[in-house]
Amino acid sequence: MLKLILNEWIKIIKRPGTLVMIGLIVLLVGAVGAFSKYQEGKHVQTADPKWKETMQQDINASKKQLKEIGKKDAPIKKFLKRDIAIKEYRIKHDIDPFEKNSVWTFVTTASNLIILVGLFTIIIAANIVASEFNWGTIKLLLIRPFSRTKIILSKYITSILFGILLLFTLLFVSILLGLMLFGTGEGNVSHLAYVHGHVEEQSRLLYSAKFYLMSFVETFMLATMAFMISTVFRNNTIAIGLSILLLTVGSVITNILTNFFDWGKYILFANTNLMQYIDGTPPVQGMTMTFSIFVLLGYLVVFLTLALLVFSKRDVTA
Amino acid sequence: MEKAIVQIKGLSKVIKNKKIVSDLSFDIYEGEVFGFLGPNGAGKTTTIRMMVGLMGITEGDVVINGHSIKSNFEEAVKNVGAIVENPELYKFLSGYDNLLQYARMDKNVTKQKIDEVVELVGLTDAIRQKVKTYSLGMRQRLGLAQCLLHDPKVLILDEPTNGLDPAGIREMRDHLQLLTKKKGMAIIVSSHLLSEMEMMCDRIGVIQHGKLIDVQTVNELNKDDAQSYAFEVGEVPAAEKVLSEYKVQMIDGELHIEIAREDVPSIIELLVENRISIYGIKANSKSLEERFLEMTNV
Repeated sequence: MLKLILNEWIKIIKRPGTLVMIGLIVLLVGAVGAFSKYQEGKHVQTADPKWKETMQQDINASKKQLKEIGKKDAPIKKFLKRDIAIKEYRIKHDIDPFEKNSVWTFVTTASNLIILVGLFTIIIAANIVASEFNWGTIKLLLIRPFSRTKIILSKYITSILFGILLLFTLLFVSILLGLMLFGTGEGNVSHLAYVHGHVEEQSRLLYSAKFYLMSFVETFMLATMAFMISTVFRNNTIAIGLSILLLTVGSVITNILTNFFDWGKYILFANTNLMQYIDGTPPVQGMTMTFSIFVLLGYLVVFLTLALLVFSKRDVTA
Repeated sequence: MEKAIVQIKGLSKVIKNKKIVSDLSFDIYEGEVFGFLGPNGAGKTTTIRMMVGLMGITEGDVVINGHSIKSNFEEAVKNVGAIVENPELYKFLSGYDNLLQYARMDKNVTKQKIDEVVELVGLTDAIRQKVKTYSLGMRQRLGLAQCLLHDPKVLILDEPTNGLDPAGIREMRDHLQLLTKKKGMAIIVSSHLLSEMEMMCDRIGVIQHGKLIDVQTVNELNKDDAQSYAFEVGEVPAAEKVLSEYKVQMIDGELHIEIAREDVPSIIELLVENRISIYGIKANSKSLEERFLEMTNV
């Protein structure tokens, strides 16, 4: 099985398109870095000397809003409470919200490129089975002493590993470039997190890593879906098209649906953004991290079972 | 005697209520080249795909070296090397990397073995080049190298001479002879071209409409080949008279007489006795081609 994964890995790495993907990610991080540096040089950033007053006004406004909502149970309540708590913490401990550019602000900016990681992972996952059929090489694999289950699992695992490689390339390159261009930043650069009703200071590196991994959940699920579609329908165009469409508009559509229907919480995209339980509010009241993880696992099992069953039973005529 | 390494037992395939292959049964022995002959669409490729597990078997079974391909796929297929239709290779990899892909799928393949096989098929000079630069003949040879890596007991080649020039076919034949006679491998080749099969195979099974029509050894086919003899004689009318008790036909001024080989001397004697001059005698062997058409046009 390890040998099979190694084989798949070599087939991905030795294709020119793969290098283009990795190169493009590095290049775009570079472009974002160059642009940020240029902006920094143009507008000298200064802190707002009256930030405490402004923030206090914000807090008062939020508190007023909270009162208006009253006893009604609304997701926004939790969001407001957290916002107030963090702002009060800032005032109390004198933590200026203004941050000069540092490696961490840069990593946060560069995290917008995660969508590119998603895109490339989907392309690889949708092609890894389909192209063997196109080349006819699927026959070579299937007449060797390995069960079809092992063949398809090795392909799936390789696609996901490739996605993780891209993600770490992005994180690593942006940390490296961020350090080179902006340095580690000054003063207190910890992340303020709202945990169980009180504010905690957390390491920015840990937070960034967590943010990246959480963002990968969506990529991971969509890549699995693309993998399933291309295996079942033997059509990588449909697989790529549909997955990319959902990658871009899936969450928007889901947001609309969850506004009107309670069952919206079972939709894949209502659950892929696990950051909503850390930094935001879930789309439907009562959703928890555990609930989402179970829903995601459910989808995963369905996608993989479908791909596996169809692939194992198929008569290969390629 | 010889051991049946592949046993095909009542093999059938039904696709969408259409019987593509119906109740095929035959054995293939160690050290022989078995030809699987039939017109296009007769079910050759489907049968081969079932033999290597690419297609499901509707009924019957294929037993390779004692293991059923249906119930014990991994053990059965370990002994098989196959090229189904074209040799499929990763064009963006070098010849050597292609072989490495294959080698990783079998524990027993060493680097040494790879070099050995590469030399056997004569690709030593080109093995580091990308496959997309290879000619068709080179691809065929690389394909052959690929399925020889794990020393299979059975080699299955579907249309191996497709697109090869005569020199390539000859080369392929020499390879196959070497493998069967020296290594005791059993080789199954399929083709719709008779002349090629005649050159390469020891036994030929003819399949049509998914059914096995006949299995014959190539020697047998050639032996009882000639069924008539052409006599070029000086005095045709006289000769016809003399030979009136035989079936005689006049074709292009020659007398074609339907007789067995052992009757030839007595005919000559008869003609000489009657003072008829004989200028030439030749055997009219019915070509394998004609026999094939005869068999498949029933």
